[in-house]
Amino acid sequence: MNDENLWYVYAVVRSPGPAGPPAGGTLGEGLATVDHRGLTALAEKVPATDFDEAPLRERLEDLDWLARVARAHHGVVAEAGRHTTVVPLRLATVCRGEQGVRRLLEEGEDRLLEALDRLAGAREWGVKLYVDEAAAPPAAEPAGGDRPDRAGSGRDYLRRRLGQQRARQDADDAAARTARHLHEALARAAADTVLHPPQQARLSGVPGRNVLNAAYLVPEEGEQRFRDALPPPDDLHTGLRVEVTGPWVPYSFTRTGPEEGTGP
Amino acid sequence: MTTRPRRVELDPDTVERDLARLVLTVVELLRRLMEGQALRRVESGDLTEEQEERLGLTLMLLEDRMALLRDRFGLEPEDLNIDLGPLGNLL
Repeated sequence: MNDENLWYVYAVVRSPGPAGPPAGGTLGEGLATVDHRGLTALAEKVPATDFDEAPLRERLEDLDWLARVARAHHGVVAEAGRHTTVVPLRLATVCRGEQGVRRLLEEGEDRLLEALDRLAGAREWGVKLYVDEAAAPPAAEPAGGDRPDRAGSGRDYLRRRLGQQRARQDADDAAARTARHLHEALARAAADTVLHPPQQARLSGVPGRNVLNAAYLVPEEGEQRFRDALPPPDDLHTGLRVEVTGPWVPYSFTRTGPEEGTGP
Repeated sequence: MTTRPRRVELDPDTVERDLARLVLTVVELLRRLMEGQALRRVESGDLTEEQEERLGLTLMLLEDRMALLRDRFGLEPEDLNIDLGPLGNLL
């Protein structure tokens, strides 16, 4: 009962939390910690005008506002992750009062402890494999300029198209094979893996077709082995490109987040 | 009536081009389907040489005409597409 302040909960770490006042936050009155039975929530009192249920629902459709929240969220999680194992909570996890934060910790205790164990000493790496269509054999019809009028007969035309089609098919197969081998090799060096659906070039703005979009949970002592499993760029077929990002706080591996405040 | 904001600017030039784009996109879709079918039949070898020749010539001419039409309306090959939202692109 009592205090009806709203608390935005960013992440959970094992107690004791960070020494000294935790850095980051600023969605409200400044980042604080709430301890409960061996778990510490990194949380912040936030204004009800933004974070109470009804306004929050509206706010979540405001992309600029959401971006600000996401940045603050990521900032707190990343900073905490530099010092200790951290379980990030879902974006916009809001509790009612300090009591609510404690309840969240208590109800999620098993899952949070399990996640903290699983994530301890490990970091997330992202690996994407792209096919650059431009470098691959011509897929579409040649642009008006280089019209194949010298090709002569209709049979030649068909044969040429068939060749192009096969070359494209081969390139696709090679890309899929490379993606599979790469993933297998990396998975051997990882404690856990998550395959995300390939990104749409239209949304990501990254050129090329994304054929592998994976996250790997890599124990720190295995990072060298993981990196060794990445092929040097020269080893890849032309038109294939690997992009590695990280290390990240293991967002992709915290599927155990508590339900409270995360909607139905 | 006249106070209502006009949502659609009816510029005769762009109307023609947009319409051409839509029509050519549909034609391009059909052309690719036909070509795919033709290539499958060539691969399976159930066409005579003469049939292959005629089919190939037809497709070649069709592609050629498509390029001409695109040029006339100032369209690039990648313009011939329709964004189907969550389904991705038509072509």
